[in-house]
Amino acid sequence: MPESVFEPGQGVVKVTLAGAFEPLTTEPQTFDLAVSNVRGVLRELDARVPGLAALLEEESAVAIDGVIHEIIYTQPLAPGTEVYFIPRLESG
Amino acid sequence: MLKKTDAANIPVELIGSSPVRPDGVPKVTGMAQYGADYALPGMLWGKVLRSPHAHARVASIDTSRAQALPGVKAVMTAADMPDQDFTYQGPERVQVNFWHMTRSVMAREKVLFAGHPVAAVAATTEAIAREALGLIEVKYEVLPHVIDVDQAMQGDAPLLFEDMITRGNEQAKPSNVSRLKTFQAGDLEAGFAKADEIVELSFKTEPVHQGYIEPHAALARWGADGQSEVWSSSQGHFVVRAFTAQLLGLNVSDVVVHPAEIGGGFGGKTLVYLEPLALTLSKLTGYPVKMVMTREEVFEATGPTSGSSMTVKMGVTRDGTIVAADGTFKLQAGAFPGSPVLNAAMCAFSVYEIENARAVAYDVVSNRPKAVAYRAPGSPIAAFAVESVVDELARRIGMDPIDLRLKNAVGPGSSTIWGPKHAHGGYRETLEALKNHPAYQQPLGPNQGRGVASGFWFNGGGESAATIHVAEDGSIALATGSMDVGGSRASMALMAAETLGVPYASVRSTVSDTASIGYNHVTGGSRVTYATGMAVVQACQKVIDDLRSRAAMIWDIDVDHVVWDDGAAKPVSAEVGDFAPLTLKEIAAKRAVTGGPIVAEVAINAGGQAPGFSSQFCDVEVDPETGAVKVLRYVAAQDVGRAIHRRYVEGQIEGGVAQGIGWALNETYIYNDKGHLENAGFLDYRVPVASDLPMIEALIVEVANPNHPFGVKGVGEVNIVPVMAAMANAIRDATDVRLTALPMSPPAVLAALEDSGANARMNEAVSA
Repeated sequence: MPESVFEPGQGVVKVTLAGAFEPLTTEPQTFDLAVSNVRGVLRELDARVPGLAALLEEESAVAIDGVIHEIIYTQPLAPGTEVYFIPRLESG
Repeated sequence: MLKKTDAANIPVELIGSSPVRPDGVPKVTGMAQYGADYALPGMLWGKVLRSPHAHARVASIDTSRAQALPGVKAVMTAADMPDQDFTYQGPERVQVNFWHMTRSVMAREKVLFAGHPVAAVAATTEAIAREALGLIEVKYEVLPHVIDVDQAMQGDAPLLFEDMITRGNEQAKPSNVSRLKTFQAGDLEAGFAKADEIVELSFKTEPVHQGYIEPHAALARWGADGQSEVWSSSQGHFVVRAFTAQLLGLNVSDVVVHPAEIGGGFGGKTLVYLEPLALTLSKLTGYPVKMVMTREEVFEATGPTSGSSMTVKMGVTRDGTIVAADGTFKLQAGAFPGSPVLNAAMCAFSVYEIENARAVAYDVVSNRPKAVAYRAPGSPIAAFAVESVVDELARRIGMDPIDLRLKNAVGPGSSTIWGPKHAHGGYRETLEALKNHPAYQQPLGPNQGRGVASGFWFNGGGESAATIHVAEDGSIALATGSMDVGGSRASMALMAAETLGVPYASVRSTVSDTASIGYNHVTGGSRVTYATGMAVVQACQKVIDDLRSRAAMIWDIDVDHVVWDDGAAKPVSAEVGDFAPLTLKEIAAKRAVTGGPIVAEVAINAGGQAPGFSSQFCDVEVDPETGAVKVLRYVAAQDVGRAIHRRYVEGQIEGGVAQGIGWALNETYIYNDKGHLENAGFLDYRVPVASDLPMIEALIVEVANPNHPFGVKGVGEVNIVPVMAAMANAIRDATDVRLTALPMSPPAVLAALEDSGANARMNEAVSA
């Protein structure tokens, strides 16, 4: 993993857990985080709720300004970006 | 890193055409190799013993008599496979609970549905294997069973897992509800208080099978050195490899899975059934083992999608603003947790901008096979309920159903109940295409009706890999690891040819085995043309960079002075030098002296997919004497981003509608009071045939996705989402009777007409 992935962000992004991610969270929550990429978001969330990063990687997708992505650490986040973790989707 | 493109305006020559498909000739000449077509020297035949009970404890299994039968080489039970921890394991994106999966593949403590595998035999012939099954003695302690989703949620229902606590309601006592999740936005009470009209209806839908023509088949060879091979038809041979390796305790890379041609999947071939059993039997015998399901086994033990029980309440003002929506969605997971109910809840209201909305999702186990994905899993079920209620709202306020949808249509920036705002358009354009269709205004005859419905599906991205090899004659070998279920070899070849600037016929498009290319996730979620296509285009771009470098070498100029245009390297300007263009073929001929093989592989985890929208209308005629519904016309508008192979895109839309018509009118499982399936065959489980279907007109709407080099969104799934509701709404229009249960088969329609007295009125209309 390139060291730059772990660089702190230049701006604040608004991160929302849309709904509960049981058993670690029980209701929707929003965080303002100073990060620059998805890895930074996961690291900051895990510091607040230990184990949450692994749970999100396993069970969620991420919407960045409404556009849905797989969780990829290096996905950049500009200041002011809205980030939502949503349940991972089943496909047919 | 995702690159935005001006995909809508990129000039193309091949994209959107409909050339001959690479798999066409082998299929029509019978040369294509499907799962059941493979054979190896010394091969044995495997057969599965299945539970006759819907729910029972397995007290004992005695295989000694079967083992003694001449020709029998091995008999296996679940004890021959390692048990699994009750945790979600595996590579990140294919994580599943293997404790459940191993029990689904072969029962351990209990059988949970009639047809559940309990043992398997390998013998020198199919007949001997079948005979041996009858010699296996299994002692069962039969337990009460439950099939229906509402009954499974009752407090006194038999429990499939006596210790299962509802995730999301951990305070509850053990039940058959494995998951409860709520999505909510706004203030429901305040929203409904603003409504001038409120409609609340309850719905039931039956599980339906994906109905693929090709039964499951697998051939496995255990290697004495631990290197094993599997040949099977699936929607994702990398997932077959991952699941099989985990279930048998093997290194993933010690299993090579070869993709067979697939005779339909529609989501139903994203799991393993036979592969771990065939490989275990091969290990026990030392010979390759082939297993092929009968049609009866396919129906009894694979698929289907969930059945459901739903209640939807929506409120609208006189001007057509939907002000509140509330839905409860209870979906059958089958014998193990994991229905697509979260999809259902998230998709339910996703075509409407509704300020106050809630969707409550219940995942419920019952004694039938584990539910498996089926074309936009979950979304068609929810849409049947929601779009039926929307149709009633339009009637209450006297508004055209397309106009009501247009008034509340989502677009970029619209909110959702699952959190983020919509980022893409396309829905409104499908409604406008439908409304502008000349047939939408055509008058209808007696007992005829017209129904409108819409649907939403996320579409997918994810992990894909692609390789481009330029041969010495300039032809292109293109390989991906995405199973070709719906024409992806053709669409990959088109995107490669367009990017490289070479003829379509010079690209040989193939699907590689798991040892020959990087991981590709399943062909599902309408993801392949988007994600794997993106990998193909990026691989072509790497090849172009390589070709430019080689041209620069030949010309002794800087690579920055070489451009790639129309399939050839050219100097960027006359000032660089007077060089005739070097075609791909000419550069390939100098492959060795310019550095060796010209190859590029790209592996990506594609994000940035855009959702699909579909809006449809149909005309039907209802026979008041029999309840039979004849579909007179079907028009389906779908935003696909951009059509790569136009005829294939039309075929996907037509196929989704055809399957939806079957779901709407006929398809159902008939269980007797013992939990046995009584219609396990295509004679009695009635999928539509050509004579049941009208001309299905596909309206291709193209609102490009800027995250894909050619604007692709996806096409395979959303086309089925509106169908059942459109059919119900058309029947409602023809009869004034609202049907709220599927299938709307002739007996069901006739009963509803008789109960309401509508058939007498309709008979009079015919007489008049």
